[in-house]
Amino acid sequence: MIYLDSAATTLKKPASVARAVAWAVNNLSSPGRGGHAAAMAAAEEAYACRCAAARLFKMRNPENVVITCSATHALNIAIKTLARRGDRVIISGYEHNSVTRPLHGIGAHVVVAGSELFEPEMALHAFERRLTDDTKLVVCNHVSNVFGYIQPIERIAEACRARGVPFIVDASQSAGVCEIDFERIGADFICMPGHKGLYGPQGTGLLLCARVPKTLLQGGTGSQSALVEMPEMLPDRAEAGTHNMPGIAGLRAGIEFVEKKRVQKIMAHEHSLVDFAAGELVKRDGVRVFVSEYGYCQSGVLSFCVDKMDCEIVGEELARRNIAVRAGLHCAPLAHKTAGTFETGTVRVSLSVFNTKGHIRAFLDALDEILKKR
Amino acid sequence: MVYYLLICRSLTYAQRSAKALEHAGITAIVSRVPTILSSSGCGYGVKLSAKHISNALIVLKNAELHPLKIYVQYADGNFNEVNL
Repeated sequence: MIYLDSAATTLKKPASVARAVAWAVNNLSSPGRGGHAAAMAAAEEAYACRCAAARLFKMRNPENVVITCSATHALNIAIKTLARRGDRVIISGYEHNSVTRPLHGIGAHVVVAGSELFEPEMALHAFERRLTDDTKLVVCNHVSNVFGYIQPIERIAEACRARGVPFIVDASQSAGVCEIDFERIGADFICMPGHKGLYGPQGTGLLLCARVPKTLLQGGTGSQSALVEMPEMLPDRAEAGTHNMPGIAGLRAGIEFVEKKRVQKIMAHEHSLVDFAAGELVKRDGVRVFVSEYGYCQSGVLSFCVDKMDCEIVGEELARRNIAVRAGLHCAPLAHKTAGTFETGTVRVSLSVFNTKGHIRAFLDALDEILKKR
Repeated sequence: MVYYLLICRSLTYAQRSAKALEHAGITAIVSRVPTILSSSGCGYGVKLSAKHISNALIVLKNAELHPLKIYVQYADGNFNEVNL
C-alpha cells in the first residue's frame, strides 16, 4: 500500500519507535508510583520525553510539557481553562472539530475570522478586525488539516498580546513539520498529537503550557497523595491517572527522529512532493487543485476535487488500487465552508518524510485510471 | 555515611534538579521521600552526599531550582531539617 494519509496519522514510523514501545511494554511500570527500578525507569523515560519535546519546541522548562492522549485531549484542557459559557472566542476559518466542538460544548460565543485560502495577510487582518476588548480567547490552527495552509500564528499571537487576549495554537499538523518556537510565539498553550509529524504511537499528545491549566480529569498523580485537590504544579496537575508508558517511550523516539532529520529538511521534502503532485494534478482535465501560489504557506498536505465525481468515490477507487488517501470533510467542516468545498468535500493527499516521488507517480497513475473511467 | 535529602515540589522538579546537579558533576539520586517528611504524601526529592551540599545549593540556586525543604540523613537513618 502507498500511504498518503499522514495528516490523519503517520503509519510508517521510524524503527526506533517500535523498538522503544516494545522495550517500554516489558520494562517500564508507572512514573511516580513507587521508588523501585521499574517505576524510576518509567519516570526517567517520561522526563526524557518531556526534555526532547522542550528541546524541539525551544522551551526552557520541561515541567511545562504535559503529556496527553491526543491533540484533542490537549485542546480540551487548554480551551476549558481559558473559555467559559458566553465568552467571545475568535477562531480561524480553518479549525478542526477538536476546537469547534469543545467551544460549542462550553457554550462560548464563537466568532469566525474567515479569510481566503493561502492568504496569510488576510488571515491576520481578519483576526485583528475582530479582536475587541471583550474577546476572551483566540484559537488558531497552525496548519489546516484539509489544505495544508500555514497560518501566520506568530503575527496572530502578537496581535493577541497587544490586546492582552490569551492565545491557543493547534499545532496538530505542524508539529514536526514547521519550526515551532514556544517562547517566541508566546502562546498560552500549544497543543499537538504525538502520532502525526512527531512519529510517535497513537494515543499520545502534548500540551505545551505557558500557564497552569485547569484540570480536565482528577485522580491519582503519584504526588501529594494526602490532598483531596489535584496538585497545583505541572505536569502533575494535568496528568491524572496512569501514564501511557509505551506511547511515551515511542513518542520520545519519534521526537528524537525528527530532531535528527531536522524539521526544515522534513518540510522541504514534503513540500517538494506536494509541488510535484500539484503540478501534475493541474494538468488533468476536470481536477481542481487547492495549491498555494506562494509555496511558503503550504505544508505537505494537498486537497483536490474531481468534476462530476464524489470525492468519497475517488477515495474508494484509489483505495482499491492500494493508494491510501482521505476523502470527505476531514473532521473540519468549518474549513470546507470557508474554502467553499463544504458541499463536495475534497480528496486529501498528505505526506510524511517516508514518502517518495515514486509514491506520487503511483498515485497519479491510479488517478488517471479512475479519470479514464469517468 | 551522611546524606542530604532535598525535598522537591514534584517528581519532575526533582528530576530537573538532579540533572542540573549531574551537569555540574555532582552525583544526585532522585528518590521518594519518607512518609514522615512528606506532609502531603508521596513526595520526591534528590539525595546527595554531604560533601557536595554547599556546591549543590549554589548550582541549584543558579539554575533557579529551589528545594522545598532540606534534611540531613544520619548514618542511623534519622533525619534532621536543616534551616539555611
